[in-house]
Amino acid sequence: MNTWLVAAAALLVVGMLPAVVVAGRGDLLDRLAGLGMAGVVATLEMLLLSEGYQRSSYVDAGLVLAALSLTGSLVFARLVVRQ
Amino acid sequence: MITPADLIAAVEIVLLVAGIAGVAVGCVGLLMARDTYLRLHYLGPASSLGAPLIIAALVVHEGLSFSAVKLVLIGVLLIGSGAVTVAALGRAAAQRQGLIDMDPPA
Repeated sequence: MNTWLVAAAALLVVGMLPAVVVAGRGDLLDRLAGLGMAGVVATLEMLLLSEGYQRSSYVDAGLVLAALSLTGSLVFARLVVRQ
Repeated sequence: MITPADLIAAVEIVLLVAGIAGVAVGCVGLLMARDTYLRLHYLGPASSLGAPLIIAALVVHEGLSFSAVKLVLIGVLLIGSGAVTVAALGRAAAQRQGLIDMDPPA
């Protein structure tokens, strides 16, 4: 287990776990904030795992995830207002 | 005797730990905040501070390569998306509470 995989594991605990908890409870916009944070953490996880496992294709997944996470948050924010 | 490789490894570790700390502060703050607007503030440190530091560690490790360019692109995207998401969610929250006018239908 190298440094990057340790960092990915640490980020899962201190980053993804709180984000998922926030995304799973409370007001609609609080959940959306948690979802946005989970998107950022998931992108960073992809990059760290790419380095840890020496798989450069994971970086492409991270790039797509970063772009789609932003788009998704904006669409959700728009739809939440109209609800 | 400290070699340049040791120095680079040390810089990587420092950047990585600082980045994870930035994301951790954002995520724990997000969890602990009691108000939606306070909660939105914590999206900032994770995407504008933590993510660039982690990506900087990866770029230092990769050196000058095509992969490093992709990493920088993702970093710029994350910095921008954090600010845009906070602004969009803040506006949505204010519209839901009737503090500002609704957008006209597109």
